[in-house]
Amino acid sequence: MTITSIGTAVELRAVSRIYGTGSAAVTALDAVDVRIPAATFTAVMGPSGSGKSTLLHCAAGLDRVTSGDVAIDGVALRGLSEKALTRLRRERVGFVFQAFNLIPALSAEQNVALPMRLAGRRPAPGEVRAMLAEVGLADRAGHRPSELSGGQQQRVAIARALVTRPAVLFADEPTGALDTAASREVLRLLRLAVDRYAQTIVMVTHDPYAAAHADRVLFLADGRVAGELPGPSGASEIAVRMARLEER
Amino acid sequence: MSLAWTMVRHRFAAFAGTFVAVALAVAVVAGATTLWASSRPEVPARLAAAPVVVHSPSVGEGRDGYPQYRSWTAAETRSLAERLEAVPGVRAAIPDPAFYVQRLVGGRATGDPTASLTDGHSWSSATLGGYRLTAGTPPRRSGEVALAGVAPGTRIDVLTAKGPATWRVTATTDGPGFYVADEVAATMAAGVRVIGVQGDVAGAVEAAVGADGVVLTGDARNRLEDESVTRIRWIGAQLLIAMVAIGGFVAVFVVASTCALSAAQRRREIGLLRAVGATPGQVLRLMYVETLVVAVLGGAVGVPLGALAAPLLAPPLVAAGLEPAGFTVTTQPAALAAAFVVGVVVAIAGTGVAARRSSRIPALDALRDAAIDRRAMTVPRWIAGVLAAAGGGALLVVLPALPLTTQTTAALGAAMLLLVAAALLAPVVIVPLVRVVTRPWRGAAVGMLVREGTRTGVRRVASTAAPVLLSVGFAALLTGTVATIEEAAGIDEAAKLPAALVAAPDGTPGLSADAVGRQPGTAELTTEVLMTVAGSTSEYEATGKQGVTGILVASDMPATPAAVGVRFADGTTARLPVTGTHDGPAETVTISRDLVEKHDPTALAAAVLLDGEPVPAAGMKVLPVRDYVQGRIDQEGRIIDIFLVVLVGLAVGYTGLAVANTLLMATAARRSEFAALKLAGGGRSHVVRVASAEALLAVAAGTVLGAAVAAAALLGMRHAVEAELEQHVRLVVPWAQSGAVALACAVVAVLAAAAPVLRSHTR
Repeated sequence: MTITSIGTAVELRAVSRIYGTGSAAVTALDAVDVRIPAATFTAVMGPSGSGKSTLLHCAAGLDRVTSGDVAIDGVALRGLSEKALTRLRRERVGFVFQAFNLIPALSAEQNVALPMRLAGRRPAPGEVRAMLAEVGLADRAGHRPSELSGGQQQRVAIARALVTRPAVLFADEPTGALDTAASREVLRLLRLAVDRYAQTIVMVTHDPYAAAHADRVLFLADGRVAGELPGPSGASEIAVRMARLEER
Repeated sequence: MSLAWTMVRHRFAAFAGTFVAVALAVAVVAGATTLWASSRPEVPARLAAAPVVVHSPSVGEGRDGYPQYRSWTAAETRSLAERLEAVPGVRAAIPDPAFYVQRLVGGRATGDPTASLTDGHSWSSATLGGYRLTAGTPPRRSGEVALAGVAPGTRIDVLTAKGPATWRVTATTDGPGFYVADEVAATMAAGVRVIGVQGDVAGAVEAAVGADGVVLTGDARNRLEDESVTRIRWIGAQLLIAMVAIGGFVAVFVVASTCALSAAQRRREIGLLRAVGATPGQVLRLMYVETLVVAVLGGAVGVPLGALAAPLLAPPLVAAGLEPAGFTVTTQPAALAAAFVVGVVVAIAGTGVAARRSSRIPALDALRDAAIDRRAMTVPRWIAGVLAAAGGGALLVVLPALPLTTQTTAALGAAMLLLVAAALLAPVVIVPLVRVVTRPWRGAAVGMLVREGTRTGVRRVASTAAPVLLSVGFAALLTGTVATIEEAAGIDEAAKLPAALVAAPDGTPGLSADAVGRQPGTAELTTEVLMTVAGSTSEYEATGKQGVTGILVASDMPATPAAVGVRFADGTTARLPVTGTHDGPAETVTISRDLVEKHDPTALAAAVLLDGEPVPAAGMKVLPVRDYVQGRIDQEGRIIDIFLVVLVGLAVGYTGLAVANTLLMATAARRSEFAALKLAGGGRSHVVRVASAEALLAVAAGTVLGAAVAAAALLGMRHAVEAELEQHVRLVVPWAQSGAVALACAVVAVLAAAAPVLRSHTR
């Protein structure tokens, strides 16, 4: 397969995902083509049921596609075993979820080091601390998730996702469970990662304010790409577009 | 590894069930194996000072596969002893004739009846035990005795096979036993089976003995342990083995259900691990290592617990007749190590299914809310459940066609299979069962919540019901079977006894000739003889009856021979013509009473069936036949009852643990659900009622299913017993025991369900 092109972090070609069979079949994604250029911040928006979460799961290799092809960092996912897929995720993909991001038993520092430890690698001295400092939590390294605020937990999760320098970071409603101030801090950190470290980020959100931090906003409806806007267009324009999609 | 350790440390509550189950299992196994290993055969104390012992020869293996030994005759004993004393280096060769004697105090026999059968010895054999004379002079004549704790010159009353007598104490010894003059002992004992040799010359002794005996030295002398002691050890070992088996099996069960529930509760966490890059193999290893850590901790607690408990259990075991008197517990490092290993194996075996299931959790589950038990019934569970049900059902159906002797065993096997099937298929049955039961309350808030909660939490309810089901079924089945068979056996034995009153031993192993002779009625004198039939020599119980000539053998003996060779207890042989048959058991024969008296001076009568006024005699009591039979059954039943109490207690203890653990974990996990209930206007009492009502329903469902299976199996078992005995048998339903088990489960369940709710509220 030859969809590899320089500067492409993730590529979905004619990806369909159908749940169930027969009359109960639900088409979540319908022949979607998406290319995520490297070092960009892409927001995916759409009404509930539009397939935006499925798009994220398929692009990240968490869910198998029914048809079509997905490539992450030039590696085609088709035909990879569960173990190989796990390795690929571990090495090239980072995740930030809406909630329950951290292992409650582990401290912030241990949580950040977890992907490396699972890969059988010992983090370089200071590597994990530096990453925690990057997200402003240098003084919280030894705290357990239950001793951190929601915003702080999400920042630990971002540090964990970035510490392996993944080819792409997927964020699923990262601000969904946070208050305004914490949301702003999380979005600032994500933006900073793109600008300073050329990190590629794909974020699913329903919040126009969050989407406005992206370079590009992709709109999904009924399992298809329904348009796109440049991120800096502003939250209000994104909100209007969303409202129009929801009315259809 | 360090991740597993951190996980265990952080969420120890989730592992508490596994920990307690493993700790208890290890304690039970460590304690039981320590007791078992401590109870090894020992050289009898009365032969401890004889470094070399010659035992009478074996005459081949009997039907039970064990070697059969014969006695030396008096002449053989004398000549062998002389031959041995001629061996250079042998200081003395002393025969040990043993006979029955009991001391009478105030007309009542004292001491252990079974042990008293070999309490009498010849004076010279006292030295074989290293016993010395501390005062007086050795007994020389008939009516003289040496024993411990009594001053020379005292007159004591004793009871022997002949009857009561008064003996004069001529000497005081420092060891147990009654010692009479050698010639007197020879007339009172039936042959000799042991000659003790002083002097350490085993090789030369072996050459001198040849085929006339077996030479035993050192630890091999353990084989000389009294059969009654060995039998006690054997019974005790059966209980200990059963404890280990049940303890281990039930612990696997508890660990498995704990791990399954905890794995279900940790789905999201596992999904997250998978999402950040843990391979299925890493998740599997994590689960195993976590369990290993808990098992090691459980073992570290269980081993000392078992080691400390074992010595405390020794006195009750001795008192219950499950270990011989003087039994002491020794430290058994191998047993403790084995128990530790068993704990680890139990934990790993129990966690296997849950760990494999967890490793297959997709990473996507980190992003999902999985509040509803999606699949309580997995395909393997269906298959195993249906197979077990089919196997158990088939066994019950073919039961009548099976050979009689295997029917009761098959019925028990069928019951076990059905119980397992019911536990596996419980989720299918529980939902409709709960809906039917709660129908009257479907309008009330609590009723509605319980109905719907049970529907969405099938796995939770089934996890609570399954151990209750197994425990109630197990208890009902075991106690019901034993009670029914005991009752049937009572009918069976009573049918053989026609007379209304019977004279029976009172604190003695049997009735003396004197006691029997004075009673009006028929008595049967029994002795053991060795009989060679069709080339194999076996022990037979010979009953002496007046007016019998020759020998009567069992009517079902294949190809009744014209005459048989018989070797009596005193070692002499005779060839007796077969003059008839009897309808009794195959391993019994009937000979003339005179023959028994002549060849076995220690022969005692089991009882006298009275047909007139009884005459009081020492060591004898008079009671109705029914009571006599019941007493004998109760004696056996007492041991069986101990077994039942211990085994059912063990099973119920683990059930309580499983139920409590499931409910504690489940209620803790339902905190948010209960918080929502409170927000919707429910009080704390509502939450408590919902939680405990569901727990009670689960216990009720388990009880009903377990009782149903037990009832089916008991009916099958009764059918088998009826066919075996060819008479009607009343089914004894153990209502009280089963009810107690169910009640215990219910109490534990309500406490475990309500406790977390009450605790979270007070915080």
